[in-house]
Order: sequence, then C-alpha cells, then structure tokens
Amino acid sequence: MRSHSGIEIRRCRPLLGTLVEIACQGSPHDIDCAFTAMEKVQRLMSFHDPTSDVARMNRHASRRPVKVHPWTWRVLKSAQEFSRKSDGVFDITMARQLVKWDYLPRSGTRLCSAGSWRDIVLDDEHNVQFRHRLIVDLGGIAKGFAVDRAVAALKNNSVTAGIVNAGGDLRTFGSASEVVYVRHPVEPTRTAGAVRLRERAMATSGVYFERRKYRGKYVGPILDGRTGQSACELISVTVAAAECMIADALTKLVFTLREKVAGLLAQYRADALLLERNGTPSWMFHSPCDTRDQTRFD
Amino acid sequence: MKSEFAFIALPISALVVPSAFAVRYLTVDQAQQAIFPGKSFTAAPVKLTSVQRKAIEQASGVRVLHDEQQVWRVSGGGWFIVDEVVGKHEFITYAAGLNPEGSVKQIEIMGYRETYGGQIRDQKWRAQFVGKTSKSTLKLDSDIKNISGATLSCRHITDGVKRLLAFYEIALRH
Repeated sequence: MRSHSGIEIRRCRPLLGTLVEIACQGSPHDIDCAFTAMEKVQRLMSFHDPTSDVARMNRHASRRPVKVHPWTWRVLKSAQEFSRKSDGVFDITMARQLVKWDYLPRSGTRLCSAGSWRDIVLDDEHNVQFRHRLIVDLGGIAKGFAVDRAVAALKNNSVTAGIVNAGGDLRTFGSASEVVYVRHPVEPTRTAGAVRLRERAMATSGVYFERRKYRGKYVGPILDGRTGQSACELISVTVAAAECMIADALTKLVFTLREKVAGLLAQYRADALLLERNGTPSWMFHSPCDTRDQTRFD
Repeated sequence: MKSEFAFIALPISALVVPSAFAVRYLTVDQAQQAIFPGKSFTAAPVKLTSVQRKAIEQASGVRVLHDEQQVWRVSGGGWFIVDEVVGKHEFITYAAGLNPEGSVKQIEIMGYRETYGGQIRDQKWRAQFVGKTSKSTLKLDSDIKNISGATLSCRHITDGVKRLLAFYEIALRH
C-alpha cells in the first residue's frame, strides 16, 4: 500500500528517553541504519551513561583536555553559537541547576556554582576543556541532532522520502508534505492545531508535565542561562527550521524570550508558533525566507 | 527543494479528540522478521511459578504483571519475546530479541495506546498482539499520523527489558 506521501514502512524503538518513530519510503535495512545513527548519538551524548563523551567531559574536562567524537564536538560548537547569539540564555552548563532540581541524576557529578558557557574551550583537534568546575548537559540539543543524523543516514541510503520523530522533535524530507498535529499545551491527548511541513524540521517544547515544585516554587527544565531561573508557563512552543538541532535549541529560546527572539529566528530562517494554555496561538513568526508564501494561518 | 511550514487551524470537531492516541506498528510475524530476518520460530510460552516470579522481581526490581510470557525459540539460537508495559498514561506492546547468550539483540515497539484518564488496558487493543493470528499490516487509529509535543517516555520499556533479562536468567537460560 502506497500512501499519498509514499511512506511504506514505519518503525518505532525506545531511544533517547522517548519513543522514536521512523517512517520512510525505504527498506527495513534503511531504517536500521537510521536507528543505528541515533543510538550512536545517544551513546556519545547521554548524561547518564558513564562512558559517554558528556560524562567523560563532566568528570575530567575541568582538569585536563578531553578528546571527544567529531559529532559531540559539532554539537558543542553549535551550542556555543546559540549561547553567543542569545547572550547566554541558551547555556549547556545550566546542567548544575537541573541536577539540583533532580531533572538529572546526581551520581558521579560534583555540584559547582561558578562558570558558564564562556568557560568551555573547544580546540580544532576536538579537545574540550573547562576553565571552571562545570558540568554540561546536551539534552536541549542532542535529540534534534540525532534526528538530523537519522535523516542523513536515510538519505545516504538513497531513501527519497521520510519522517523521523523523536518524541516531538521531528524532520521530514522528500517532495510530499506531512501533516503534524501539535498537542494541546495542557491536555496532551487533544490537538491544538496542525502544521503542514515539507523538507523541514520541527520541534515542540512544553513544560506542563515536566514542571515540579522546588522549595515551594514551580520549576521546569527550560532555563534562562543568564539568571538560572526556569520558564514554567503553561504554554507550548513549536519551531520549524532547516535542521532539527536548530529547531530544538530555538524552542528553548522562544520559551524564555518570546517575541524578543524574532531576530534570531530570522537569522536561522526559522518559523515559530506559540500556543497559550487554552490552546490558541498567541504568536506566530514566519521566517523571511522562501517559506513565507506557503505559510498559511487561517 | 522548497520547504514548507503552514499552520492549519482545525475545526472544533477535530480538536475535541479522542481520549486516546493509538498506533500499531508491527504484528507478531512482522516483529519476528524485523528482529531475526529469515529465521523460523517455535512457540515456547512460559508459565512462571510463584517462586520464579518472586525471583524475577527481586533480581530486576520490577513487578511482574503476568505469569504467562509469550516466548518463541529462534532457529539457529536466540529468543523472541512479546511483552507489554503499562504506565500511568500508556500501554505499550513491544518485542524483544535476545541473542543466544541472553544479551538484547533488538527492541521493536509493536504498538502503543496513550490515554489520559481513559482506560489503559483495552482488551481489544491487547488482543491484536496475542499469538500470530493478526493479519493486519501497519495501521494508525484515526488520521493522526504524526504528533509533536510532550510525548511518552520510554522509562517503562527500560524497566520492562530489565525484567525480561531477569526472566531469561531465571526461566529460559537452563
């Protein structure tokens, strides 16, 4: 059976802390290759796995340079770029706050209070060194990167169309467009709308089910690196961009900065959709690139 | 190729959605071929004794919900197991392939149901993964194929696999 989008095979595996679904116009072998690429990203960038690049950096990089895989290095480079362009709102060293609030496990990490993204030094030989006792977490960006690697693996196998969805971080490629339903920010089995996507990545972040109380106040896993405060409004943010890693990172910035992030979205040629807790869109940003004429909001 | 991003506002009828999202990916046959391509399978269901059940719970730290485990012996070595896990909001059926020495070869999700405040253990939903009778191919309930937003965590599957590995040690290995 060939559907309108030509997708013939759909598989789902537990990965990256969620259920990852890959659908494509290809063979089981193609899908295996895509999952293998994502497993590799998980192995390299997991905060929990003691043998990952991230765990090795967190243990040693404040004392000596740690050599990481080129993929990890690329993600770190991108994270640094997001930090620079957002004046530190995006900051992977906020991991220490996530540990404090129990979003990340304490084991094997020493809490540290000083330092920021500016203290991460990357050299061209893929070595990483921290100028302070830091810990980093790539949770806000690695899932998107994994989706991009899966798409690259499918394309590398000459697959012409497909979609990879890692718990809401997704990317579609091929000539047909896919309809993606966006969950209601507060009632996740309701949909608040749908987005038609073609040749594009999209990520959605919401905090309703992730926020928790810490010393009487609500906290959430999306942090403003400048203040260490979390954004825990009951909204959902959807960003579309060319690459899923970009969409993934930008959702966190839209959460914190809302309309003030428009300039950055334009730089990355990204679109954004902000849903309020009643499910209605309160802000839409259309990238000023070639998507504009096709962007429709009834 | 030109990219596209268009927000489609949905009619109210579409917004007041189902109390559950459900996806079916693989039948038992399909899952077997996905994990062990070209092999043949001999059903070897296991009924646990209460002693075995306790031992599995102790070794894995995970509760055993069913005494009966759907197991197949794979030609040339290895095991194929169909299992299910239940979370607060989800019911997931999955297949685990074990290598002859008991390590995990591959996990494939066969299907899941996601409900909030609804009935997780839908008998009809479960029935389609039992045995090798289901002939249906991949099908999604309703027209919702792709969803973006807060999604299911795989924590329960991680626990389920932990339990299966203890099950292997206690009930399959010897």
